[in-house]
Amino acid sequence: MTAVATPATDGTSLRPLLWTCAAFAGGVLLHADRVPPWAAAVALLLIAWRLLTAYRSGGYPGVAVRALLALTLVVIVLMRFHTLNGLAAGTTLLLLMAGLKLLETRVARDQFVMVAAGLFLLLAACLDRQELARAPLYGLQAWLCCGALAVISAPATSARAALGLAGRTLLLAAPLGLLLFVFFPRLPGAFWAIPRNDLALSGLSDTMTPGSIGQLATSYDPAFRVQFAGPAPPPQERYWRGPVLHEFDGQSWRRTPAEPRAHLPRERLGTAYRYRVQLEASNKRWWFALDTPTQAPDARVVLTYDDVLIGAEPLTEPVSFDQVSYTHTRSTQPLAAAARRQDTALPPRGNPRARALAASLRERAGSDAALVEAVLDYLRTGGFVYSLEPERLGADAIDDFLFRTRIGFCGHYASAFVVLMRAAGVPARVVTGYLGGEWIPYGGYLLVRQSEAHAWAEVWLEGRGWTRLDPTAVVAPERLRRGILDLLPQELPARARLLASPWLNELLQRWDAANAWWTNHVVRFDLEAQLGLLERLGIRSPDARSLGWTFMVVLCLWLAVIAWHVGRSIRPARPDPLARAYARLCRKLARIAPRAPHEGPLAFGAALIAKRPEVRTSVLPLLERYAALRYGPPSPERRGEDIRAFRDAVARLSLPLARGTTHDRGRI
Amino acid sequence: MAQWMRRRQGTDRLPVTLARRRLYILPTRAGLAFTALLFLMLLAGLNYANSLALFLTFLLTGFALVAMQQCHRNLLGTEVVAAIAPAVFARSSGAVQLILGNSDDVPRMGLEAKLPQGALVHADLAPHTRQRLELPVAAPRRGIVRIERLRLSTAHPFGLFRVWTWVHAEVAMLVYPHPHGSLPMPADSARNAGARARTGAGADEWAGLRPFRDGDSPRQVDWKAYAREAPLLVKEYVQGASELRIFDFAQLGALDQETRLSQLARWVVDAEAHGERYGLMLPGAQIAPDRGPEHRHRCLATLARFGLERGER
Repeated sequence: MTAVATPATDGTSLRPLLWTCAAFAGGVLLHADRVPPWAAAVALLLIAWRLLTAYRSGGYPGVAVRALLALTLVVIVLMRFHTLNGLAAGTTLLLLMAGLKLLETRVARDQFVMVAAGLFLLLAACLDRQELARAPLYGLQAWLCCGALAVISAPATSARAALGLAGRTLLLAAPLGLLLFVFFPRLPGAFWAIPRNDLALSGLSDTMTPGSIGQLATSYDPAFRVQFAGPAPPPQERYWRGPVLHEFDGQSWRRTPAEPRAHLPRERLGTAYRYRVQLEASNKRWWFALDTPTQAPDARVVLTYDDVLIGAEPLTEPVSFDQVSYTHTRSTQPLAAAARRQDTALPPRGNPRARALAASLRERAGSDAALVEAVLDYLRTGGFVYSLEPERLGADAIDDFLFRTRIGFCGHYASAFVVLMRAAGVPARVVTGYLGGEWIPYGGYLLVRQSEAHAWAEVWLEGRGWTRLDPTAVVAPERLRRGILDLLPQELPARARLLASPWLNELLQRWDAANAWWTNHVVRFDLEAQLGLLERLGIRSPDARSLGWTFMVVLCLWLAVIAWHVGRSIRPARPDPLARAYARLCRKLARIAPRAPHEGPLAFGAALIAKRPEVRTSVLPLLERYAALRYGPPSPERRGEDIRAFRDAVARLSLPLARGTTHDRGRI
Repeated sequence: MAQWMRRRQGTDRLPVTLARRRLYILPTRAGLAFTALLFLMLLAGLNYANSLALFLTFLLTGFALVAMQQCHRNLLGTEVVAAIAPAVFARSSGAVQLILGNSDDVPRMGLEAKLPQGALVHADLAPHTRQRLELPVAAPRRGIVRIERLRLSTAHPFGLFRVWTWVHAEVAMLVYPHPHGSLPMPADSARNAGARARTGAGADEWAGLRPFRDGDSPRQVDWKAYAREAPLLVKEYVQGASELRIFDFAQLGALDQETRLSQLARWVVDAEAHGERYGLMLPGAQIAPDRGPEHRHRCLATLARFGLERGER
C-alpha cells in the first residue's frame, strides 16, 4: 500500500473541504434509509477518513488501492442488485464512487465535482420520494450545496456568510424557478425508463390470510383520498373495493389467475356517486373505487368482471382518476356455470365441523337468503369477539376459529362466512379493500388510511345477483361508522392513543390536507395540469410558439427585476437636499471657475474672488453658509429651515455679467 | 482580440470607474459543468415527469442566472484609482501598484488583478475603502517596461461565471541599470578645486543650520536642538573636496556600454549612500553635482534611458 502524505493545513484552507464533505454527506443522508446500510456506512466512513487525513495529515491510499477498492465496490453492488440500471442500484453506486472520489479531492475542481455529486444525489432523492415532509430536507440540501459552491470559490468565506449568500441567491431564484416550473413544456410520456421495482410499500396484496389485514391496522399511511362531486355515501356504504379473492386453500385466499369472463348484465340501483380518487403510490396494481365502479378510468386500467380496477403497471407514482359508482346492483340472470364452480369451490378436505354446520343450517333454511340470515345469526349469537389480536389458528383454521377461539377481525369473519356459504353450495367470494375514511374538512375530502383496510363477503343470490354482506358488521356493528382504532382503544399503540386529543387530531388533519394539496398540485403537475392552469390564466389552446413568447417575456421581466435588485446596492444614494443645493451653486459658479475636486467651499470662494473680486459680497456669504451648515455645530431644530433658506438663496443668485463675458460664457 | 478591445475602449486615464460596456462575462469551466449538470437534471425530470426534480432544476437554473448578475455586479462600479510602477534596478523584480476603490455600500469580494504575463493577485474590498495591490513585474534589463494593460476579473460569488475587464492604463516602469562594477570612484574634478581651496583640504567645515527639507539625511539632523524643542534643523557643512565627484561615461572607455552604465549606477548608489555630492557626464546629457533622493533618481533615470530611441522613452 502506497501512501501519500499531505501536510496539515490551517483552518481557512480546510474550509472548502469541510463544505464539500458536508454537501456530499447531506446527499448520502437523504438516501441513508434507501440504499443498503453498508453502502451508506462506507460512504460516511470515507468522508470521515478524508476529514481525518486532512486534519491530522495522515496518508491516503495510493492509486492502485483506490482502483481496487472501486472495482470491489462495483462488483459488490452488481452482486447485490444484479443491475446498475435501477434507481437504488445507481444511487448506491454514485454514493460509493463519489465517496472514493472524495479521497483524491484536493483542488477546487475536485471539490466542485463532489458538490455536483451532492446535487445529483439530491436529484435521485427527488426522483425517489416526493412527500411533502421531505421537501424541506431537499431544500436544505440545495442550500448546503450552493453554500459549498460559495466557499469553494472563496475559501475565506465564513459559514454564516456562505449560507447567507446562497440563501439570498436561492430566494431570488425561487420565483424564476417557479415560473419555469409552470411554463416549461412537459413531455407527454417518458423516453427512457429506469426500472424501479425496489419499492416496499404497505397495502393490500392479492392474497389474504385471516390475519394479514391486521398488520395494516396500525399504519397511518394514507391509501387514497376521495373528493365527491355530489353527496357522499353514508358511512355504512363506504366500501372501497380492492382485490376480490376467489380461491381458498384452507389457510389463505388468493385471486384466481386472470381468466377473462364476461361482465354480467345488471341494473344499477340507487344513487350514482361521482367522485375523484387520488391514489398514493402503492407499488400495487389495484385502483380502489367505491363499491361498484362503472367504467375503467384510463386506458391503462381494466375493469374486471368482478368489478376490480387493475392497472397495467404497479403504481409507483400517485395518480388520480374520476369515477362513477353505485352501491347497489341487481342481476336477474343466472350465474354462469364456470363462475358458480369457481365461487363454490373448497379444498377437498379439512374443516369438517364447519362443513357440518353449513349442512345443518342449509337444511333448516328455506332459501339462500334465509341461509345467509342464519349464518349471520350464528355469528351474532355465537359469542364472537372482534379483536385485532386473535389467537393462533391450527391446521383447520376455519373450524378452529368458529368453534374454539371465536376471536378475530374482518379477515376471520369474511373468510369463515364465505367458507360456510360455499360449504352450503352458495356462490360466495371474499372482497378486500377499505371501509370508511376520515372526513378532512380543510380539504373537503375523505382520507382513507391503510388502517381502514377491511375484508367483507359477496354472495350470489338468485334474482339479486352479487350481494354485499359484511359479517364483521354483525359482530361489531360500530365498525361501519368508525375506524378500527376507534373501536379497539385497548389495542391502540401509544402513538395512536395520542390521537385521542382533539387538537392533535386537527393538526394531523391539516397536515394531511397539506399533503393532499402537495400531491395534487405539485407532485402531479403534469402536462394536463399545466394546460389546465394555462387555460385558467387565459391562455386558451396554447401552442408552442405563443407559449414560448409568453414564457420569454415573463422570464425577461423577472431577470430585469433581479438585475435591478442585485444592482440596487451599487447605485449611489440620492444626495441630501443640502448637497443638491450646493451642487447647484457650484454649477452656477462654474461660469466663473469650476470647483476643483480638492477644493472645499472656502478655498473655492477664495479662488473665485481671486478671479473676480466683485462677487465677494454675493457668493462668499453663500459658501460660508454652506460650510457652516455642513461642518458647523449642529442645530437640529433649525436645520431643515436653514437648508431650505440656503436652497432658496442659491436659486435666487444671479451672477452679474463681468467684463469680457462673451468670451467667458463661450468657454463655459 | 486585445487590439479590438483597445480600439473599442480607448486608452484609460485613471481614475476610472468600471462601466457596463467594458465588462465581459462568460461561464467558467465550473459554470459549463454546472450547465451540463442542469441539462441532465432537466432530462431526468422531464423523462419521469417528476415535479420535484424539475423544480430543483429550474431553481438551480435561476440560481445560476442570479449568480451571473451578482458576479457582474461585483465588478461593475469598481474604481481603478491609480496604477503606478516605481522605478527598480534591473535584475530585481518590480511591481505595478494598483489602487482599487469601492465607494459603494456592499463589499466587493474575490477581485483578481492580473498583468498579461503575471500571476493572479486577489483582493477583497470592504465597502467605502481603497486597497493597494502589488502586481509583480519582472525587470531583467535596464530601460523602460511598459505595461500595456491589466486585467481585473472576479468569479465571486459562486465561481460559475467570470466577469473581466481590461484597463488600458499607461503604466511605464523605469528600470535602472543593475549597479555593478568594482572600479574605484574617480577623485574630485578639477573644476571644484577652488571650492576646496577656500574651505581647506580634507575637512568638513561647519556652515550653519537650516530648516529640514525632505530628503535630508537623518544623520545631519541636529537632534540635540530638536530635543530642546527647537524645530527640526539640519547641520550644514561645506563639504571636503574628496566628496565632490563627477562620474564621466567617457572615462570608462575600455568597457562596453551596458557595463559602463552599470558601473556608473554603482557609483551613484554608493556616493548617495555616503552622503557625497556627485554629478554625471554622459554623451548628450550632463547633470550638475548635487545630492539627495531626487538627484539620485535623476541620475539613475538618465542612465536608464541612455541610448534609447526617443519613441521608447
